[in-house]
This record gives sequence, structure tokens and C-alpha cells, in this order.
Amino acid sequence: MKKLKLKAAVIALAVIMLTLATQSTYAYYTTTGKATNVVTTGGIDFIIHEKTDQGTEFPAEGVYIIPGDIVSKEVSVESACEHPFYLRVKLVYGVNQQELSAEDCFKLNIDETNWKLHDGWYYYAGVVQPGETTPNVFSHVEIVGSAVDNSYIGKTLTLSVLAQAVQSENNPISGTDAYTASGWPVA
Amino acid sequence: MKRIFALVLALLLLCAAVAPVYASDGNVVYNGNARKFIFAPGSPYSPTDLFPEFKGAMPGDSLVQRIEVKSAASDVTVYLRALGAHKDSAAFLSQLRLRVEMLEDGGATNLFDAAADKTAQLTDWICLGTVRSGGEVELDVILDIPVELDNQYSDQIGYLDWEFRVDELPAESPETGDTAQPALWGVTLMFSAGAISLLVSCKKRKRA
Repeated sequence: MKKLKLKAAVIALAVIMLTLATQSTYAYYTTTGKATNVVTTGGIDFIIHEKTDQGTEFPAEGVYIIPGDIVSKEVSVESACEHPFYLRVKLVYGVNQQELSAEDCFKLNIDETNWKLHDGWYYYAGVVQPGETTPNVFSHVEIVGSAVDNSYIGKTLTLSVLAQAVQSENNPISGTDAYTASGWPVA
Repeated sequence: MKRIFALVLALLLLCAAVAPVYASDGNVVYNGNARKFIFAPGSPYSPTDLFPEFKGAMPGDSLVQRIEVKSAASDVTVYLRALGAHKDSAAFLSQLRLRVEMLEDGGATNLFDAAADKTAQLTDWICLGTVRSGGEVELDVILDIPVELDNQYSDQIGYLDWEFRVDELPAESPETGDTAQPALWGVTLMFSAGAISLLVSCKKRKRA
């Protein structure tokens, strides 16, 4: 038994020698790297311009008027984003006396070629492209003499322009009817 | 000679005209000499940004980003895993669907299909294959923006991290005839001789 153990040990050592003689050493590198990737979404934005026929800004404090006056006021909308959109505007009339109505006090020369009335909104008959400014919705306001009587003396009549836009990308419409687009805010 | 030159020029121009042009590919290059990754093109949001095509996305968009993974100067096995969205980006990116496909001869292998904030099928390392020096692996990343995406997600920025790993393959150098390791031989012989002597002396003592 002891002889067998000795022989086994000698053989084992010989095997070790042989293995070491033929063994090659393999080593390889592992490298990692991290990428921080970014996704962004776009948006829709615009600017409402109200100017006089002289190219100046319409006075924020308003103008004094008498019945029959025709006031120069050019209203247009300029794209302020990088995506095209459909556009609609609503004209809101007001007077600072609850008993009075401003609805019939103004007469506007709406550009009905480019702005189509539907459900109280004027829809632009096209798509506003990035950087583009629409044609004027109207360019002057007539103060209707028959409607603005003495009860309006000293009162303030207001004409506000409300605008809304919805993306035109991935949003088909029927013909040129922008009111058929999806995503218009619910009133 | 002039005719040959003109012909060569015409062929070069033709190749340029018909070669597939990807406006903004992402590039991952492993530099084996420096043992580091280079990510391009980057963006103002992140210097390692691989998604130049995923900017200004709008509801209803389905955008495709091609990414090329290359090795320079080394043969490597390439792996990929997703680390998920940054904490502040999770709510936004969870609204979007992201898919990753690895392009292979005649088809594509789906690697990932989940919300963009998740790690999902790329939670663990996925092997993209072996890339020889100068070779590449191509990935297509598809981003789907739901058409009903709410207005609150307009003009948003979302960050998500990917990690790449390479294992450099052993270099197969040509035989030079000098592969001996003298030092190792010497140590082994000495050890073996000592062990054998010890065993033999032990045996003799026992006989005695």
C-alpha cells in the first residue's frame, strides 16, 4: 500500500510538471461604459399680435371712441414653436356695466376667406407652419352708432381675442375644415 | 488613364448616392487601445446621448433610431443592459413605448419591448455577439408616442441609461518558436525534485 502511495505521488508530480510546461496563461479585459440617452417631446406655442395700421402695438389701455368711429386694430397670430398646428380664435365682447350688452356694439371686417366661423370660433383655413404669421383675423373695428347710445357714456367696452391651437402632425382633418381635427380643448 | 480616373470617380459618386444614409445614427465605439467606450453624437442634454432622432417627439409619432456598435483595434464580445429611467424622468417616460431590435442577416431579434422607463428584458446583460476589429452590430430603437398623450407631457425631457460591456477576446498571436517559460520550468523542477527526494527519504527511513 505504501509503495502504491509513493508511486501515485511521483506520478502526480510528473503530471503537474507536464501540465505546467504546456499551460498557457489566458487573461482578457472587461470594460463597461454608460450612455445617458435623452427623449424630448415638442409643444405648441403662439403669440397673438394686436397692432394698428401704423405697425405699432395697439394700446393696452385702449382708445377713446365715439359712436361711428372706425378703430384700426389688426389681429394676427404668430407661431412660436417648431411644430405646425391648426388654430382657432374667439372674439369676446364685454362692457363694465352688467345691465349693458356689448354684443352688437362692434362691427369687424373678418377675413372670411382665411377664417371660417364654426360653433362660435373662427378656424384658420390652413396650417400654421413654424415661424409663420397668419393673415389678420380682422383689421379694424367699427363702433356701431345705433347700438352705442348715451347709456354707454363713460363706460369701457372690451374686445378680447382668445386663441387655441392643436398639433396638425398625426392629426388629419376633413378637407380644410380644421374644426374636424382632434384635440380641441373642450369648452 | 484619364478615362480610368473618370470611371473610378463616377463609380465613387454612384456609391455615395446609393449608399444608405442615416441622418443621425447613434454610435458606440469601443477603443481597444484606450480600453474605453466612445458614445456619439451626444446632445446638449447629455454628452453620451445615442438618441438624436428622439427629440421634439409629438403625440402619434413612431420614431426610429439606428445605433451602430463597433470595435476598433480589438476583437470583443459585446453586451448590453438597461439601467432604467432617471428618477425625475420615470413618470414621463412611462407614457412612452420603447422597442429595441438587433439587426441580423435577413431579420431582426427583439431585445426589448416595454415602457421607456423600464429595464424589462434588458435588466440583465444581453449578449449582442462577437465583434471583430472594424466590425459592427446594428440596433434599431423604436419610440412610440401615444396619440392620446396628455398636454402635461409636452416640452418634456426624459433621461434613461444604458450600459455596454465588452470582453476582449484573447489575441491569437503567431508562433515564434520561443514559447518557453524558463523561470516557470526552473521553479517547477526544483519543487518536484524536492518533493520526490522527500518521499524517497521517507521510504528509506521506514524500511530502516
